[in-house]
Amino acid sequence: MRADPFSEVDANRLSQSKYSVFRSVESLASMTIADRSGDGNLVSIRDLVFSRDERKIFDGIDLDIRRGKVTAIMGPSGTGKTTLLKLIGGQLRPDRGTVVFDGKVVHEQGLRDLYALRRKMGMLFQTGALLTDIDVFENVAFPLREHTRLPESMIRTLVLMKLQAVGLRGARHLMPAQLSGGMARRVALARAIALDPMMIMYDEPFTGQDPISLGVLVKLIRDLNHSLGLTSVLVSHDVHETLSIADYIYMISEGKIVGQGTPEELDRSASQFVAQFVHGLADGPVPFHYPSDADYAGDLMGPVKRRPGARH
Amino acid sequence: MLQGWGIWALGGVQRIGRAHIFLAHVLLGLPGLLLRLRLLVREMYVVGVLSMLLIAISGLFVGMVLALQGHNVLSEFDAEQSLGVLVAASLVRELGPVVTALLFSGRAGSALTAEIGLMKATEQLSGMEMMAVDPIKRVVAPRFFAGLLSMPLLAALFSMVGVLGGYFVGVGLLGVDEGAFWAQMQAKIDFEEDIINGIIKSLVFGLIVTWIAVFEGYDAVPTAEGVSRATTRSVVYSAFAVLGSDFVLTALMLRGE
Amino acid sequence: MHSRVVEIWVGLFVGIGFLALFFLAMKVSNLGELSSSREGYTLFARFENTGNLKVRAPVSMAGVTIGRVKSIRFDKATYDAVVEMRIDPQYDTLPEDTSASILTAGLLGEQFIGLTAGALETYLKDGDQLELTQSALVLEQLISRFLFNKAEGGDKKADASAAAESK
Repeated sequence: MRADPFSEVDANRLSQSKYSVFRSVESLASMTIADRSGDGNLVSIRDLVFSRDERKIFDGIDLDIRRGKVTAIMGPSGTGKTTLLKLIGGQLRPDRGTVVFDGKVVHEQGLRDLYALRRKMGMLFQTGALLTDIDVFENVAFPLREHTRLPESMIRTLVLMKLQAVGLRGARHLMPAQLSGGMARRVALARAIALDPMMIMYDEPFTGQDPISLGVLVKLIRDLNHSLGLTSVLVSHDVHETLSIADYIYMISEGKIVGQGTPEELDRSASQFVAQFVHGLADGPVPFHYPSDADYAGDLMGPVKRRPGARH
Repeated sequence: MLQGWGIWALGGVQRIGRAHIFLAHVLLGLPGLLLRLRLLVREMYVVGVLSMLLIAISGLFVGMVLALQGHNVLSEFDAEQSLGVLVAASLVRELGPVVTALLFSGRAGSALTAEIGLMKATEQLSGMEMMAVDPIKRVVAPRFFAGLLSMPLLAALFSMVGVLGGYFVGVGLLGVDEGAFWAQMQAKIDFEEDIINGIIKSLVFGLIVTWIAVFEGYDAVPTAEGVSRATTRSVVYSAFAVLGSDFVLTALMLRGE
Repeated sequence: MHSRVVEIWVGLFVGIGFLALFFLAMKVSNLGELSSSREGYTLFARFENTGNLKVRAPVSMAGVTIGRVKSIRFDKATYDAVVEMRIDPQYDTLPEDTSASILTAGLLGEQFIGLTAGALETYLKDGDQLELTQSALVLEQLISRFLFNKAEGGDKKADASAAAESK
């Protein structure tokens, strides 16, 4: 059925770009060789508003993800970076605004079309999200078995190729519970590229890794992006690793984009927040102290009041 | 206070609504499942085969106790020959379907809830969605239909082993006449009114127990605590729902006579 | 676990399940008999009173069950009950003057139809009617008759003792 998956994907990209409505002139100007389709942005987000439980997580965000580039989205914990990935993947619906992936408005697709869109994106979850009841080989084979009717021999070849790409061909008989965190993420990465997607979204890939597996992951993300012509979206708060591989970076804080640019631009940025985040300062626009209604001296000397939430 | 009750009630109604939409979604997974019977067989193993021993042993003891207690009462009226009727009627009409459903929810139902809940907590379901695989059709539907199919078979196994247990105790230990034991049973137990109704009951209970189990797992708060709460809820709600619907079904079946 | 082992176990499970269903149908319930009762032939009998007789009650002769009651109807013209019986095919030599009575198993047990063979050489055929019947004994009638007799007897005794006293 799919004798040459690579060429078919390319054909897909070309055919879909014909319907692409959202072309921006500025991105056309900055087109590179990787932009084979002519539209520089694979994902464009316009005026995105999303709130959960009365709390506004995004308040009017505009964001573009260029084809063939590594785009990073950074910000303090709890700013909803993972939520942004879920909005791109269509697992959540925005309250306002649009998310366009490859020329299609994600949340306006029916279930069938949405699933067709998702086959063009891979996602790497923080925990790997491997299926725990089947081994590494079957995990990587899972999307192939679900979406194609390839003969067993071809599935075996493809799976071993993907596992070789992440350096875990020898671990194919292990169960997910036997893998370290870094290995689980690499297997998940092999699974994410099994169907040769156009884009991979990485959700906090560096969190809680030792320096060696950190190095492996950084190398893998960079290499895969170049060798497979992928577009990568990276969500992280690990400044050093992210700056080392990202082509373009967005900084999000309190529902707004507070800074953007190439790593060099951000390093030299005049924005106090960006400076605080990039250089890891304890105090700045994000204060060290949680806001308090009385000043310190008044709080210490003042009368003892029973706290409403106290248990006694 | 009153407002709290209102919110609680609204939340409950909302949950019930979600459970029904969920069920409809699961049922839509049937055609896809028929093309991949291997998935169903795998879940039948987990849900059915692994419950078989528990159900058989429980059925044996329930049947033996029924024979002991029944003999004790019947001998006062010199009606020991009716022991077979008593054991078989209790098992086929009530104890078979009900006790099997309760044991099934404790053994298989709670395991289903925990498994699906953990898959949700570890983002496996989310991961499937992002791989363009519908987790309700791929994960939930096979487990649901496996439970639905296993329940009547397990209930029949329970009743059969129970009748045999009653036979061993009644005829073997207490000296009830073997011919009378079987003959009276066959004369009084009606195929349509008793056996078929018992199968209908066990099908309904199977639907209720597996539905609650998979829904609680899918709807669980995706944390370790949330999953453990969902597992408890799954067993408790199943027990309530089984006993309640048993009353309704029995009333309907008796009125139909 | 290997998928082949899983498949074998599931096959075994389904097999045992169906075996249990078959056991319940044939050994525990009356399905085994019902199938044979589809064959056989039908006899009718009229009773003044069928008492507690139920459909599917046994029809027995000399204590052996040879058939089942198939239906009980009320005849508007004669105010009788018409009982339809299915007799198993192997019992095809019932004399034409066979009589039917409604009997009770034990003191408070179920009621059934007892047939008593006659002496004729010709046999009953499908659709024939039994002419000699005896109705069910109704407990209330029995008791009232018993009390009536007792009261009569008691009066005589009372009269006798009164007469003796007066002597």
